[in-house]
Amino acid sequence: MKNIELYNNTFIKVFDVDENKLNEKFTEKNIEFWDSLRQLAITNALEEKFDIMFDPEDIMEFNSYEKGKEILKKYKIIL
Amino acid sequence: MAVWNIKNVSIKGISGSIPDNIVKNADLNLFTSEESKLLIKSVGIAERPVATDKICASDLCFSAAEQLLKDLSWNKDSINSLIFESVTRDYRTPPTSCILQHRLNLSENTFTLDIPMGCCGFMYGMVVAGNLMQSGTVKRTLLLVGDTASRMGSSQDKSRVPLFGDAGVAIALEYNENANPMIIELNTDGSGYKALITPHGEFREPATPDSFIYHDFGKGIIRRPIDALIDGMEVFGFAISKPSKSIKNFFQVYNIDKDNDIDYFLIHQANKSIIKRLVKKLDLPIEKVPMDIEQYGNTGGASVPFLIVARLREQAMTKPLTLLASSFGLGLTWGTMLFKTEPMVISKLIKVK
Repeated sequence: MKNIELYNNTFIKVFDVDENKLNEKFTEKNIEFWDSLRQLAITNALEEKFDIMFDPEDIMEFNSYEKGKEILKKYKIIL
Repeated sequence: MAVWNIKNVSIKGISGSIPDNIVKNADLNLFTSEESKLLIKSVGIAERPVATDKICASDLCFSAAEQLLKDLSWNKDSINSLIFESVTRDYRTPPTSCILQHRLNLSENTFTLDIPMGCCGFMYGMVVAGNLMQSGTVKRTLLLVGDTASRMGSSQDKSRVPLFGDAGVAIALEYNENANPMIIELNTDGSGYKALITPHGEFREPATPDSFIYHDFGKGIIRRPIDALIDGMEVFGFAISKPSKSIKNFFQVYNIDKDNDIDYFLIHQANKSIIKRLVKKLDLPIEKVPMDIEQYGNTGGASVPFLIVARLREQAMTKPLTLLASSFGLGLTWGTMLFKTEPMVISKLIKVK
C-alpha cells in the first residue's frame, strides 16, 4: 500500500469520514469532532503505521490533514 | 533542580481505598461507541472508581489509614505526624489534616499538615515527611494521599470526565537508622499553570453567580468557571517531554543500569499513550512497568503508591524492591524518585460505600 493510502486510511478510521472530505479544509478548527482524543489517536495510529515516534511539538502541531503531511516529511515519510 | 537524599526513613506499609462505585467509560453518554473504543485504545481507561457526592478524599484516606494501622498493629499514640496531600480537601478552612487527626483519634501531640500538589502529591508528601523525620524528631508519620478529582469538574466535559478515578492511600513511615536512602527530585514550570486549573472559587477569582453558568466551548466541552479544566494537548506535550528527560538524567547522575538495577518503574497513571511513549523513549523493559490505568484511571497524587497496592502487593510484601517512580501534573510539576523498600504490609484494597 502506498504511503498516501496508509495516511488517508488512518484518517478515515480515526475520524470516521469519507476520503473525499480529506483536503486542506480538514483542520482542527473546521472539524467539530477533532478534539484532543482524536489528535492523540491519529498521531498514535500514524506512529504505529509508519514505525516512527513524533517529537512532542509535532504532536501538538498536528492540527490538520495537510499539516500532518508536512510533519511526516520531517520523518522522511513522503506521501 | 531540587533533589533530596532522605535517610533514616522506612516505608512500613501502604493501603489503598476506592469508592464502591465503578463507572465504565463505554457507558458514558458523552461518547459514541467508536469514540469509546478510541479512548480505551489511546488513553487506556476502561473504567474508574467514582466518588458519590458524599465521599471526600479524606473519607477514602481515613478508611485506608484505619486499615493500615490495624494491619501494622501500630498504637495510635505512637504517631507523631499526619500529612494529608490532596487538592480535594473537606473545607476551605480548616486544614483537613486537623479533622483527620480527630477522626483517627490520634494524639493531640500530632503534627498535622495539608499539602495540595496534585499528581506529584505522593512525592511532595514523601519529601516533607522525610525531612521531618530524618533527624529522628518525628518517629512515625501517616502520609495520606488522595483525591476525588471526579468531583472537581463538569459532568459534561468530554475532555476531562473519562480520565480521573478517585482513590486514597495511606503510607506508614517510620524512623529507622538502617533505612535505605530515598532520592527525590522535584521540578516546576509555573508558566503552564493554566493547563490544569480550576478558574473560579478562590481568591484570585472568587465565586460569583457567573461562576455557575455553563459555557459551551465546542468539541463536547461544556463547563462552568467553577469547574476544573484540563488542556489535554498542552498537558500531553508536557508529560511526554519533561519527565523522560528527568528520568534519563537520573540514570546518568546515579549511575543506574535500567535493565538490572530497577525492579519496577512506577509511572504516573495519567494516560496509556504517555506511559507507552516513556517506555519507548527510555527503552524500559515493559514487563517492569506495571499499569492499572485501565481499571482505575488517573488517581492523581495517589497514583504511584496505589499502583503498588493494586499491582505489586505480593512482591512488595515478600521481597525487597528497588523502585523508580515518575510523576507529573498540575503546576506544572514533575518528579522522579528512587527508593528501595523492604518487605512491608500492603493492606487489601478497601471499597468505601
